[in-house]
Amino acid sequence: MDRQQIALKLTIDGLELPFKIDTFYDRLILQKAVYLSQAIGINLGYYYQWYLHGPYCPSLTRDEYAVAVELGQDIDESKGWTLDDVSKDRLKNLKNLIPKVEQKKISRKLELLSSIHFLVSRKQIRCSEANEISNTLKKFEKDFTEEEVREAVRELQEYGLLAR
Amino acid sequence: MGCSQDSKSEKLIVDSIHGDIHLNKREIDVIDTPSFQRLRHLKQLAMAQMVYPTATHTRFAHSIGALGMMIRILDAAGRNGLDISPEQREQLRLAALLHDIGHYPYSHLMEKLDRVDLSEEIVKETKIVSKAIDKQIIPYPRHEELGSLIVTQRPDLLEALGSPEQAKIVADIFTRSVTADAQLSKLVHSSFDIDRWDYLLRDSHATGVPYGHIDINYLLNNLRASSEKILGFSLKALPAVEHFLLARFFMHRVVYYHKTIFGLEEACRQLLRRLRDRNVDHNGIPLDGEQVKVIAKSDDLHGFTDAFVDNIVQRAVKDEDKVIRVLAKAIQSRKPPKLIKEVPVCEEPGSKHNDGTVFFERCQNGLKSLSEEFDIPLGQFILCKPKIKIMETPREYRAYEITSLNADELRARAHEEEEEQIWIFKDGNKEPDSFWDIEYSLVGKFSKYFFQSYRLYLVYDGDDENKVFDKLRITVKDW
Repeated sequence: MDRQQIALKLTIDGLELPFKIDTFYDRLILQKAVYLSQAIGINLGYYYQWYLHGPYCPSLTRDEYAVAVELGQDIDESKGWTLDDVSKDRLKNLKNLIPKVEQKKISRKLELLSSIHFLVSRKQIRCSEANEISNTLKKFEKDFTEEEVREAVRELQEYGLLAR
Repeated sequence: MGCSQDSKSEKLIVDSIHGDIHLNKREIDVIDTPSFQRLRHLKQLAMAQMVYPTATHTRFAHSIGALGMMIRILDAAGRNGLDISPEQREQLRLAALLHDIGHYPYSHLMEKLDRVDLSEEIVKETKIVSKAIDKQIIPYPRHEELGSLIVTQRPDLLEALGSPEQAKIVADIFTRSVTADAQLSKLVHSSFDIDRWDYLLRDSHATGVPYGHIDINYLLNNLRASSEKILGFSLKALPAVEHFLLARFFMHRVVYYHKTIFGLEEACRQLLRRLRDRNVDHNGIPLDGEQVKVIAKSDDLHGFTDAFVDNIVQRAVKDEDKVIRVLAKAIQSRKPPKLIKEVPVCEEPGSKHNDGTVFFERCQNGLKSLSEEFDIPLGQFILCKPKIKIMETPREYRAYEITSLNADELRARAHEEEEEQIWIFKDGNKEPDSFWDIEYSLVGKFSKYFFQSYRLYLVYDGDDENKVFDKLRITVKDW
């Protein structure tokens, strides 16, 4: 692991998520969790673009696999390292945004949160209109209801990820 | 050597790899901007010329070559079913030309500063308090992100490209962003892209090393496109595809990860990180990603070239810090870090322990005492482990997984997860199959293997070099 990969591992640990990439949902959760961590001010250096399931970073995928392979070999070079205190506090707060439910439901929620944040912060949509967001997401073949969108926007605002 | 003919061209550049490259008016305008001319002062292979003296070609030559490559691919794909509009064609050509516009001085060397580990951070005895990673500091952006910023915000390029909208479309293609056509973007960045095709041929030609000489004409002649613009190769070109994958692998082993070249580059990375991350006198190195972006948006960009780093190294030779001084002298006077021990490993991912991981762990445990025993500062030891996979497959697909997915599902996954997917058109099929689906491909079978070289270097400045290295090598023999 290099420093960026160590920081990635510490971030996922800070969110109390398992570093798993076995299934599509595992990988989606890691992608979106890192996206939201960066949005909250943990600067890991991953540049996201829009793909089929919302914001996605190819170089993060490569790091995920590199870290997972080492963890599979019982090598964890993040031991002995720690994040700075401010970043740790931010992760502690963000952790509460991730529900303790089955993988598929977590991935759906994180996909929605990160997609809305990406589209609003890149000025593709306004966050004031839930139906506008829902319709935009439908264009990308995402089936999120207005109610789900409204709740997601409220949570993003509550956690300081979007301005009210 | 190929030749890219274009009856509407206004200028002709003769390239040593692709032959004649015909440029249109807009491309000439782009090339003539100061932002693009900066690429003349970035060596394509950073410090490789310290070993291969003729490897002095530049990002400028590679960028023109990438355009030449794109013209050849578009011509070939057009003859074989790829239907794209003249506008898209123009945008793809510009994206190829500009794909490396955001490179740092010495390219990846400076870009990856945030990933560099110093020996003090690697050894296990170091106190935890000194091993905190401050993630409030913004890392250096990747060169594609920086390139997007330059293309969409530098006035000279905005003017040359005609409009901010056109600039954004071009940048979106080379960063594979929201609005870009995903399949067309892959021509610029993927396993088989104009970047790799050109750099393998060009780096091989410039170094004199034969391994990058891919069968470009045969690949181009066998390029196919599906109705959904998915580009692949006809089955008979499979050996050329496999050769391409191996060419990249061998070029990494012989050139990019050459022990002396990599050692010098790693010494320079460590030098720059030490200067940047200390409390005083950073020698002008941007302290974080925000400062890099400020440079990219201002006229300071024009001086953000290899000479920027050369000047830092020159000043660092007289630095008060001994480790910084020794590293700088090693680079300036080409006294490269010498290998104390190297453990090369070729394995499948997932194997529990290998000689390399054992060696690395022993270094982590023993390096501090070694440094004390020989009275050499820990920072003069360089521990690294460059790695190359035959294919950068994010996920190991097995044959039954491939066959259990239909074409749309496979494509969806390829779109999001597998930049490295390669498509093969079997005889008579209009839709391609995955390269991994071809069971008799030798390279496919080994694609999950990686080569990794665990290395312990020392940068030494004493007069008793041979004696010290002999003794060190005996000490670490069984690590």
